[in-house]
Amino acid sequence: MLVDMYSKKVFNMAYQFCGSYQEAEDLTQDIFLKLYRQLDKYDFGKNFTAWLLTLVKNYLIDNYRRTKWEKRQREDFDERLHSAPAAGGPETGMLEADNKKILWEGMNRLSPDIRMAIILKEIQGKKYEEVAEIMGLPVGTVKSRINRGRLQLAKILHDKKEKTHGL
Amino acid sequence: MACEKIQDLLSPYLDGELTREEKAAVEAHLSCCRECAELLSLLRVATESLAAFPEVEPAPVLKGKLYSIPDRKKKFRIGLDFLVKPALQPVLAAATVLLIIFSFYMFGPYKKDIDKTVNRQIHRGYSQVERLYAKAGSVTDNLGAYANDIFVSLKKINPLGKNEE
Repeated sequence: MLVDMYSKKVFNMAYQFCGSYQEAEDLTQDIFLKLYRQLDKYDFGKNFTAWLLTLVKNYLIDNYRRTKWEKRQREDFDERLHSAPAAGGPETGMLEADNKKILWEGMNRLSPDIRMAIILKEIQGKKYEEVAEIMGLPVGTVKSRINRGRLQLAKILHDKKEKTHGL
Repeated sequence: MACEKIQDLLSPYLDGELTREEKAAVEAHLSCCRECAELLSLLRVATESLAAFPEVEPAPVLKGKLYSIPDRKKKFRIGLDFLVKPALQPVLAAATVLLIIFSFYMFGPYKKDIDKTVNRQIHRGYSQVERLYAKAGSVTDNLGAYANDIFVSLKKINPLGKNEE
């Protein structure tokens, strides 16, 4: 039951965080192993999804710090990350795909805490309060991290586009 | 307001979290600063593009592996279950502490010094015991002599007041 309900969520969080499909599969297995070990520590009065996502967040960030993923490249942006075709036609679609590719690669330049906050807020569409609960931080701190992350990503987009136009 | 301050307000501006005054100040700045206006448009592009990342479907093989985790865990636990019994925990803790102390002794740099000190202490103890034993012997001898004296004195006492002769 846990696998049916949460495997997709956990896998996606791992994939968005590390940027590699294979790595995300290994991480998902490790996280489920940890989840089964820690289930008896779950307090039934608390929100299970938030508890699980906190466990996932802790595992991913700890593992990142242990293995120093920042030195590794993110996997190539592939068709798995393309959403439905853009309404504005093929040109708009290409532009959107370009932006996504730049952002996907740019995520690796964010610190693990900022990256995690951006994933939860921007990609998974959670509210600031939910992100704060999962990350175990005050809402103000989360807002400031997301603000910094957004600015960093906007600057990455700006630099990349300037380079492209300069060529 | 300076560009830096405005740039810090752009994210809450996008979220619609600014007060009326702050919003007016940001909009006034944006109307005359091209750089900040461009940054705002890039922020919009970034948030919209990130929101458009689709959820990826994990491979069915992965799900199979995840389903088998509880069984794997059970198999692993059959052989080692006795180790996690609460009754054994103090014993295991004591054994761990002893093992740590022993490893410090075995592999630490002071093994020779410790050996020498222990040897010296044992010898000192042994010689103290020997001295005590010798003392005890002399005390026993003295007690024997006192007993003889007492015995002789008792013999000399005449309870009826008769003359010995």
